[in-house]
Amino acid sequence: MKKIRYEQINETLYYEKLDNGLDVYILPKHGFSKSYATFTTKYGSIDNHFQIPGKDKVKVPDGIAHFLEHKMFEEEEGDVFNKFANFGASANAFTSFDRTAYLFSSTGHVKENLTTLLDFVQQPYFTYENVEKEKGIIGQEIKMYDDNADWRVYFGLIENMYHHHPVKIDIAGTVPSITEITKDMLYTCYETFYHPSNMLLFVVGAIDPDEIINTVRSNQAAKSYSKQEEILRFFEEEPAHVAVSKNVREMAVAMPKVMFGYKEKMTGLVGDELLKRELATQLMLDILLGQSSDLYQRLYEDGLINDTFGTDYSGETQYGFSVIGGDTPDPEGLVKKVTEGLEAAKEKGITKDEFELNRKKRIGSFLRSLNSIEFIANSFTKYKFNETDLFQIVPTLEQMTLEDINQRLSEHIQQEQLSVSIVKPVNQA
Amino acid sequence: MSQLLFDTSIVNQLNLHILPTDKFKTTTMIVHIEQDLKEETVTQTALLPHILKRGCAKYPSTQQLRQYTDQLFGAVFHADVIKKGEKQIVQIQLEIANEKYLSDNSPLLQKGIEFLGEVIARPLIQDGGFSKSFVRSEADLLKKRISSLVDDKIRYANQRVTEEMCKDEPYRLLSHGRLEDLDDVDPVGLYQYYQQLLAENPIDIYVVGDVQIDEVRKEVERCFHLNRQNIRHINFNPVQKDQVEEKLVIDQMDVGQGKLNIGCRTHITLQDDDYEALLVYNGILGGFPHSKLFVNVREKASLAYYAVSRLESHKGIMMMMSGIETDKFDQALEIMKKQMAMMKTGEISETEFMQTKAALNNQLLETKDNARTIIDLSYNGRISSTEKTLEQILEKVNQVTIEDVVAVAQKVEIDTIYFLRDKEGKS
Repeated sequence: MKKIRYEQINETLYYEKLDNGLDVYILPKHGFSKSYATFTTKYGSIDNHFQIPGKDKVKVPDGIAHFLEHKMFEEEEGDVFNKFANFGASANAFTSFDRTAYLFSSTGHVKENLTTLLDFVQQPYFTYENVEKEKGIIGQEIKMYDDNADWRVYFGLIENMYHHHPVKIDIAGTVPSITEITKDMLYTCYETFYHPSNMLLFVVGAIDPDEIINTVRSNQAAKSYSKQEEILRFFEEEPAHVAVSKNVREMAVAMPKVMFGYKEKMTGLVGDELLKRELATQLMLDILLGQSSDLYQRLYEDGLINDTFGTDYSGETQYGFSVIGGDTPDPEGLVKKVTEGLEAAKEKGITKDEFELNRKKRIGSFLRSLNSIEFIANSFTKYKFNETDLFQIVPTLEQMTLEDINQRLSEHIQQEQLSVSIVKPVNQA
Repeated sequence: MSQLLFDTSIVNQLNLHILPTDKFKTTTMIVHIEQDLKEETVTQTALLPHILKRGCAKYPSTQQLRQYTDQLFGAVFHADVIKKGEKQIVQIQLEIANEKYLSDNSPLLQKGIEFLGEVIARPLIQDGGFSKSFVRSEADLLKKRISSLVDDKIRYANQRVTEEMCKDEPYRLLSHGRLEDLDDVDPVGLYQYYQQLLAENPIDIYVVGDVQIDEVRKEVERCFHLNRQNIRHINFNPVQKDQVEEKLVIDQMDVGQGKLNIGCRTHITLQDDDYEALLVYNGILGGFPHSKLFVNVREKASLAYYAVSRLESHKGIMMMMSGIETDKFDQALEIMKKQMAMMKTGEISETEFMQTKAALNNQLLETKDNARTIIDLSYNGRISSTEKTLEQILEKVNQVTIEDVVAVAQKVEIDTIYFLRDKEGKS
């Protein structure tokens, strides 16, 4: 087991790659009562067209990665929640665009709970009946999100931006798409993406690293996996420009909501380059639209925004976009003022002072997030899958220059890459 | 495992609670101002945190104030108002990096306490009142916040059932206050009200982080000068309804999924001896994924994605909640009622019982890993005058028997069944 020391933040990380290809990371946290583990596969809602070399190309229905996540919790002997509950652990899972994570947190019996986690994720049990039954449950989950205006306005934006890329598909799919899912399809996806070499285990909290690695080693050594070739994932070519520049939906809300943002033209970045782009874009958005910016204050005083207003950036290898917005009485007016403000900033450039102040703020905010063991496990995994490192965030920010930020500003803020998604109150007849 | 004991002292007539721990890389400070939840003051109290966070004498514009917190390595400054039973609490919070982990060694703790002191004790004053423009814009935003409650259907259903259930009790009020009070807020009157709150109401300051007790005390003493006099004690005395009659309320709206909320009276609060037995009762019924509601409404009948029960023990209320197809209302209600009936007749397996206790232990112990939940647990004890440590609560939970749970079940009664449904069908 390799030991990696991070002096400034006073953390020690342990790493080992097992013979079956599984990456195991362990981070002991002094003084914590709780332990937390995530077992994550690099497989999410966008991986709907794929092939294992030597086998057939497969295209699967929308929402299947999420459906599979739900079904993993069922074992032949019953619901796996019971096994965790016996040791007081609370278990959960989530599916995102590019990964599916299974997790538990517990304040004791870490070895037992870890074994349960590894075993249930590595032991699928799908039957015709249990797959059919799940359709009712997920159907209600989809309907819950359908009524959630914040989710609809956010997802509406991604749907607008992309022509073909599966990031535009709702993670849970639709009621018709999940109807098509069968147990055989679930097994195909499972066998493709749940091989240990496509997965990462992260254990953090009140733990002894040697004890943990021994538990994992012997658990994995008892299971046999044949070597798997690298999974091929297929994506249709995505045009650089946005598919739809504006969309308005009516819902039962009191105040309109708007989300807008810019679609990245350039894709294909990995590793430290990708991390740097993400951090620079976030910093740029903070400087121009954060609570201490001129623009934020003007919009707030004009009553165009409230504390729901914020910015976000997703930058992955395949896709990238910024998201700006919140609740507003005048969506079109807000978009106009923000985009004008951003264009003006492009002309003027960001100043050294603004840059230094916001960089400091970002570093402080990163330290704060290290208080959360959940954040550490989930973010570490996300960055690792992108071939970079969560703990590179501070050094990357420290090395960033004002020129980097100004360059990012002129590169990212481009009028033709803008798309707008609006939810307006239903006309009360 | 170490106990988390706050060092409590009175500094400048404020209750100061300090917990030194090296577990966190930041220091969390929360100032609580306690007030009764009542019609006459609910809106004024709700407005205060929003005005305080806009600026103060030293940082008179919001931008100056935000730039200052940014300089403190992006300290997170937050002010809001919450409701705990029939109390309304103003919370002003600052979470600041600990300089130990920074290459820069500025005294952040000192600056942080100083900042909170400025914001609370020296607000921005104009013509003998709060800043007119802050009051005007924050009143307007609060109005929008209240009317947009409907945007989140789960929260909206929860508020609607609470209003219907507690029609004649203060608990019906939203922590945000009332729309009708916001048209014409007087900045002078509001400031006078604030002065009175600062003088008379209980104020509790919590500090959690890698800090020295003496240093924190010294800084609070230096930075918090409030004119404290006639300090009141606010009783823990939520209105309890003795006669409960089950009623049904249905609202119709443009929605796809129906929200079924069942409001119950438990007749048990934090102060009661059977509070821990109620925790176990709620855990078996609907607190966890192994609980009766999850297993029967979701896993067996496939009717819902969520089916849970939640307690509000400052008031003594339990809420069951689920999102279902409109035409499954009768079936879901029947299953939910049946689970309550099983609790009453003691149809609880040894497994359910043990799993719930284990899960509660875990849930309670987890609160120790987050500065905010540590503070919240301690403050709950403080305002309900039940200052039990986490370890004492755990011990009581572990002593609860199935008979205790069944005894609690006899007390729990359905008050209001609420259904938010679509507009189809007849109204």
